[in-house]
Amino acid sequence: MPSLLILLLLICVPTPSHAYAGPGAGFAVLSSFWTLFIAFLYSVYAFLTWPFRHLLRLFRRRKSLVNAQIKRAVILGFDGMDPELTERFIKEGTLPNLARLREQGTFRKLRTTFPAISPVAWSTFMTGVNPGKHNIYDFLARDTNNYLPFLSSAEIKGPKRSLKLGKYTIPLGKPTIKAMRRGTPFWHWLGRAGIFSSIIRVPVTFPPEKFPGVLLSGMCVPDLKGSQGTFCLCTTRNSGDKFRDGGVRVPITRNGSGFRSYIPGPEDPLAANSGKELRADFEIHSDPANKQARIVAGSETFTLRVGEYSEWIPVKFKAGLGFSARGICRFYLKQLSPEVEIYVTPVNIDPSHPDLPISHPVTYSIYLSKLFGPYATLGLAEDTWALNEEVLDDDAFLAQCYANHDDRERMLFDALDKTRQGLCACVFDTTDRVQHMFWRYLEEDHPAARNVPRDQRPNVIEDLYRRMDALIGRVISQLDDRTLLLVVSDHGFKSFARCVNLNAWLHQNGYLALKAGKSESGDWFEDVDWSRTRAYTMGLNGLYLNLKGREREGIVNPGAEAGVLKEELRQKLNGLADPASGRTGITGVFDCDAVYAGPYVDNAPDLIVGYGAGYRASWDSVMGKVTAQIFEDNLKAWSGDHCIDPRLVPGVLFSNRKIADEKPAIVDVAPTILQLFGVQLPAHFDGKPWTVQATPAT
Amino acid sequence: MSLLTPIRSVAISNVFSISVPAALVLVISIVVGLLMVVLFRYTSNQKAIRIAKDQLKAHLLAVRLYQDQLPVVLASYGRIVRGTGRYLRLAFTPLLIVILPITFLIVQLDRYFGWTPLTPGQSFLVTARAKTVEDLDSLSLQLPEELKTTAPAVHVPADKEVVWRVEAAKNGAYDLKVNAADHAVEKSLLVSPALARVSPERLRAPYWKRMFVSGESALSDGPVQSIAVDYPVRTIAFAGFEWNWIWLFFVLSLVAGFLFKSVLGIEI
Repeated sequence: MPSLLILLLLICVPTPSHAYAGPGAGFAVLSSFWTLFIAFLYSVYAFLTWPFRHLLRLFRRRKSLVNAQIKRAVILGFDGMDPELTERFIKEGTLPNLARLREQGTFRKLRTTFPAISPVAWSTFMTGVNPGKHNIYDFLARDTNNYLPFLSSAEIKGPKRSLKLGKYTIPLGKPTIKAMRRGTPFWHWLGRAGIFSSIIRVPVTFPPEKFPGVLLSGMCVPDLKGSQGTFCLCTTRNSGDKFRDGGVRVPITRNGSGFRSYIPGPEDPLAANSGKELRADFEIHSDPANKQARIVAGSETFTLRVGEYSEWIPVKFKAGLGFSARGICRFYLKQLSPEVEIYVTPVNIDPSHPDLPISHPVTYSIYLSKLFGPYATLGLAEDTWALNEEVLDDDAFLAQCYANHDDRERMLFDALDKTRQGLCACVFDTTDRVQHMFWRYLEEDHPAARNVPRDQRPNVIEDLYRRMDALIGRVISQLDDRTLLLVVSDHGFKSFARCVNLNAWLHQNGYLALKAGKSESGDWFEDVDWSRTRAYTMGLNGLYLNLKGREREGIVNPGAEAGVLKEELRQKLNGLADPASGRTGITGVFDCDAVYAGPYVDNAPDLIVGYGAGYRASWDSVMGKVTAQIFEDNLKAWSGDHCIDPRLVPGVLFSNRKIADEKPAIVDVAPTILQLFGVQLPAHFDGKPWTVQATPAT
Repeated sequence: MSLLTPIRSVAISNVFSISVPAALVLVISIVVGLLMVVLFRYTSNQKAIRIAKDQLKAHLLAVRLYQDQLPVVLASYGRIVRGTGRYLRLAFTPLLIVILPITFLIVQLDRYFGWTPLTPGQSFLVTARAKTVEDLDSLSLQLPEELKTTAPAVHVPADKEVVWRVEAAKNGAYDLKVNAADHAVEKSLLVSPALARVSPERLRAPYWKRMFVSGESALSDGPVQSIAVDYPVRTIAFAGFEWNWIWLFFVLSLVAGFLFKSVLGIEI
C-alpha cells in the first residue's frame, strides 16, 4: 500500500521526475497497458456481437426453453463411490450432507455396465447407450492380428509425413489422435440446443471433441511418454530388478560432490522407431545432516526435505533442431542415506503448453493453469503402481491423491461460478484410487494387510468419504432452487483378496494350449500355441474365443461351434469355487450377444466374466500370462476392486430432487438430463429418463 | 565557476569528439536495460509477479471462453482491473528502489545529450531573472572579449526578466557575468562542436529543483534569481527519425530489457 501511494504521488506531482523512472516503469506500464488494451479490444468485439449471438442462442433454445424444468444441472461424479459403504457411514453419522440428500431428495443404487469398469461405465454415462454402441469394453482392447493389447479409448500415431535429413527424420505435422469411443456425449446435444456445459475430467474424453462449452479431458489422457503413467525411481542402489508395472528404475550417479540422474522422456521424434528416448538431466546436491537435498532440473532449482514432494516442475526434453517436448512432474525425496532415492511422477502433459490436446477449447487447460497453477493432466494421475510396487508408502500416495483432488475441487468451483446456466459436470477419481489401494484396511483378514494390527490401521476410506461429503456440502451451499444436483458413481467397490488366473484355468481345462515343453507362458501369450487354443482371456473381464476369420490364428468356427463353446464355458465357469475356501470365485458369466446391442458388438469380448465378491482377475491373467495356479492371494496394496460381477457393485445416485424410479441405471443419466433441459431425446438412446420432481426437495 | 582554460576545453572535446551520440545512447540503453532487469530480478518477488501475470492471462482467457455469459464476462473485466492494480503494485515496488540511481544517471546524461553546445557565429539568448521588478534596471551583462551582444537588452517586467542576444566568435568555455548593483554572479557557457556537458541554467534554488536543469552550484542570495542560456535542444537521428534522446533511450532500453528478460528468464 505505501508503494501504491508513492506511485500515485509521483503521477500527480507535476515535475518531470516520474519521466526518469526509466525503462523499469516502462516494462510494468507496457505490460499492464497491453493487458488492458487486449481486454478493451476484445470487449468491443464481444459487446458488438453479443446481441447477435444471444439471439442465435435463443433461437436454438426456443424449443427447449418451453419445456425446460431446470436452469442448471450439476453432476458430481465420484468414481467408485460404494452404496453399501455410504449407507454404513451415513448410519454412523459421518456423512451429514449425503444423509440430508437421502432424506430430502433421493438415494438409490445406480446400476452399472457390463463390465463394471470405469471407461465402460463413464462412456455409457455420457452417451446414454450400451457398450455395443460406444465401443468401449475395457481399458484395453486386443489386436486380433497379433493378440497384443492396445488402449481402447484413443489411438495416437506419429505425423503422417516426415522428412529424412541425414541421420534425422523430421516430423512434418502433429501426431494424429483418433478417438475410439463412439457415440455422442449428451452435452453435445445440449450444445446444439444452445445450452452451455462445463465438463471436467469425465473419463474417456480424450481426445477432446468440439462442442459449445468447455471440457478438460480425464481418464485415458496419456503422459508425455504416451503411456498411462510411467513413474521413475532414481536411485543409487544397484538393482537389476524391473518393476512389474508402471515404472522404471533410473540410476543416480556421482557427479563431483553431488549426484546426477535423469528423467526418461518420450521417444526421440527425430529418430522415429529407433526406440531412443529423450532424457532430461537433473542434479542432486544432498545435505544429509539436514535431511534435505537441493535439486537442479533445467532452469528450476528447489530444495526438498526427505518425505516431501516438490511443486509441479516444468521439464523440457530437447531433441535437437529446435524440437522439444514439454511436460511437468513432481519429485519426491524418499531418502538420502544409506542410498539416495528420488521418486519422480510420470511426466504429465504441461497444461499451460499442451503438446497434445487435452481440453476444448485448447485454451481451457491453459486458462485453468494460469488461474490455479500447474496441475495433473494424466488420466490416471494418482500413481497406484508406485504404491503397488512399494516405491511410495501409504502417506506419500495419499498426499499425491489429495493434492490432485484439491486441484480438482478448485476447478469445480470455478466452473460452478462460471456456469450459472447449463450443465456443470465434474468427476473425482480420488474415491476410486484410494479405495483400490486401501480396502485392505477395511477387512479383518485381507491378505495384503495381515501384518498390520487392527489398531494400527488408518481409517483412510472413512476419511475419504467424509471429505467427499464435506465437498458435497460446499457445493450444495452454492446451488439455487432451479439447479438439479446429481451425485453419481460409475460402480461400487468390493474387496479384492483373491486372484483368479483365468488363462491358467483355460489351460488346465484344455481350452488354451502352450508351446511344446512349456508349462507356463510369459506376458501377452508369449508361449501360447494358438493353433490349439480355443479361448483366451485378456484385460479385466473379457473372455475371447480364438475365432477363425476374426483372430489371425483362430481355430473355432463361428456360428454353431462358437455358440456351443461359449455355452460350455459359461456352464463350467459359472459358480467356479475357490478350492481354498469353497467360496464362489465366479458368480456370473455373460454372453455378450445377450448383453450388448449395436454396431460395435463385433469388437466386444465373447463372454464377460463376473467374479464374486473378494475375487478378481489376477495381475498375470490381465496381461495374458499363463501360470500354474488358478487361485492365489492378492498381496498387493491394490486390494479393492470393482471389475467383478456388475450386479455386486452398483454405484450410487443421490439427488436434491425426488426421483421416482426404483432401479435407475447409469445409462439413464444422459436422457434424464436432456429431458429436464427440454431437449428432444435422440432415438438411439438405450437409457430411459427418470421421473424427477419438478421442484427441489432442499 | 571560473572560466575553463583552453587546455581543459580541448581535453573535454577530445573525450567525446570521436563518439556518435546515437551510438552512445544505444550502448547506454542496452547496458541500462540489462542492469534494470537484473536489478528488478533481485529486488522483486518474482513468484508473486508470475502469479499476478498468470491470473491476468486467466481472466483474459475467461472473457473469451465464457463470452456468451455476460455476468461472467463483466466479472472477469473487474478481475482484470483489480489484477492489473495488483501487478502494478508488485512491479513498482522494486522500481522505487532503483528510481533514485536511475534518475541521477538520466540527469547526468541529459547534460550531454539534452542540448548541444553553441557554435561560433550562432546567436543565442541569455536570460536573467531578477528577484523584483525594481532590480531589473540594475542588471547588466559582462562578457569576455570572445562574446558580444548583438542587440540591446530587452526587459520583460511581467516575468522579471532581462534578455540579451549574444554571439560567440570562437570555441571555448566562458563565464558570463551578470552584475546587479553591488552583486555579481557568473554563468558558464560552452561553445564547442563536440559532444560535451552543458548547463542550461544556473539558479537560486534547493538542489532537488536545480538538478534537472542545472549542472552548476546555486546562485548566492541576491537580486539575480537565475541565469539561463538557450542552448539548442539536441535531436538524435536514429532509424530515420529525429529523436529527443530521452525518448530514444526509453524505447531502446525497453526493447533491450524485454530481450534480456526473455533470455534470462526474468518476470516483469
